[in-house]
Amino acid sequence: MKPRVFTPLVLFLVIGFLIGPFFIIVAASLSGGETLAFPPQGFSLQWVAKVFTVESFRESFAISMLLAIGGTAAALVLGVPASYALSRYKLPFGETVRTIVSLPIIVPGIIVGLALLRYIVVPFGFNITLVLFLAHTALVLPYAVRVVSASLNNLRSDIEEAAVLLGSSRAGAFFRVVMPNIRSGILAAFILGFVTSFNQVPVSLFLSGPGVRTLPIDMLSYMEITYDPSVAALSALLAFMSIGIVFLAERFLGFSRYV
Amino acid sequence: MFQNRAEALALALPAAVFAAIVFLAPVVILLAEGFRNADSWSLVAYTNFFSDPLNRTVFLRTFRLGLVVTAVSAVIGYAAAFAIVNLTPRSKGQMIGLVVLPLMISSVARTYAWIVILGRTGIVNQALQLVGLSDEPIRFLFTETAVFIGLLQLFLPLMILSLISALENMPKDAIPAARVLGANWFQVFFKVILPLTKEGLVIGGTLVFTGSLTAYITPAILGGSKVLMLETLLYQRVTVANDFVSASVIAFILIVMSFAANLLLKRLATARNKR
Repeated sequence: MKPRVFTPLVLFLVIGFLIGPFFIIVAASLSGGETLAFPPQGFSLQWVAKVFTVESFRESFAISMLLAIGGTAAALVLGVPASYALSRYKLPFGETVRTIVSLPIIVPGIIVGLALLRYIVVPFGFNITLVLFLAHTALVLPYAVRVVSASLNNLRSDIEEAAVLLGSSRAGAFFRVVMPNIRSGILAAFILGFVTSFNQVPVSLFLSGPGVRTLPIDMLSYMEITYDPSVAALSALLAFMSIGIVFLAERFLGFSRYV
Repeated sequence: MFQNRAEALALALPAAVFAAIVFLAPVVILLAEGFRNADSWSLVAYTNFFSDPLNRTVFLRTFRLGLVVTAVSAVIGYAAAFAIVNLTPRSKGQMIGLVVLPLMISSVARTYAWIVILGRTGIVNQALQLVGLSDEPIRFLFTETAVFIGLLQLFLPLMILSLISALENMPKDAIPAARVLGANWFQVFFKVILPLTKEGLVIGGTLVFTGSLTAYITPAILGGSKVLMLETLLYQRVTVANDFVSASVIAFILIVMSFAANLLLKRLATARNKR
């Protein structure tokens, strides 16, 4: 086949397959009808509006936001010093430390959720929200360490050694010399962590209690009860949110350098 | 390099201890549970698990779907990656952006779209009835085909991206040289492109395969209880039967697969760094 025909045809089919479903969700969520259908029956914003009135969506959105922001922040508080130790110090058992903090990326989330439910929530009676917070922190930790390590490795270490030689304390050198230079790496780690945590399902599957659920889990259980287009509307809104965040990050940070 | 060990440990330990307590310990205990029987170590849980025909079906189905999704995504991935690397730099960037875009969207949303498309009143059924190919709605949801399509859409971008970077690292004149020497496109692919991009194929394939094996949302939404896969089976065993022993067995299978894949990727990465 001639490349002139081959290239556009393949791209049309593949990109259509990857992106098409997203447009269909958007269209379905603007439907005027009572049930999920495509092509949409008429046009209305009723389902988009309904999303904001469903009590459980509002609650689980708040929880997911809290987990994504708080968990990512906590992961950075743990991860930035660890990355610094891994890249600047001769750390005993450095490889072991690196492996342990990056494990949560390798082990399927559903197993982590089950293990936490069975050995932390049940025996110690820990609060579900707290355990969700710990789980999301652990989940984001590998991303935080990876992205922050990458930006530390791109930064020459002699500038902070110079700061120390000139009389700054090690901590002073870190906060005044290193931090300003890896700020965009930390921000990139935060965004990646936020999106990962917010969209995360399997870890939270087993970790839901009365009134405590993350948004994706809430959407899953809502879908089991009703087929109305409000889940489509919510999906579309969330997709726009993620795309917007990533777009802005790419625009201002050159996000893709870090991921 | 700073030499102070105490400082290094003080910086690194909080993260490591946190991950060990919140993550490693509970998972290890969960896995150990599958090897315990009446206060001694045993493989009873495993022989019991595999003696149940339903479990065997689910196990084989998970692997079969993983392999099929990987194979199909490799074929489509090569076509797409090949088309993309031959574009002008500007449109190449845009196309890569479009391939990455779905990765940023929640997999619940992405999977949900297939209900709209494949459902009883979905687009496909409406189209079939419109052109008269079928009189009544055909059931696509809750079939292996639906799960296959969902997984393919979910993980195809990973394959395309790995193959794009593999094709870009290929010597620019390899294909024209082979063509000049009289190779047809079939030979060019199998004798030139494939050997030179093998590494990218393995990386993409591993990501797609482990992704499919450990997916939960897609089989849960598009397969339901009719098309169980290992993760949905695990969920069902726990919620329906309180059967933590089977759950531990499934968890072990999934973790072993995941680690094996990760090890392979690491090997490839270090091999590449050495060159």
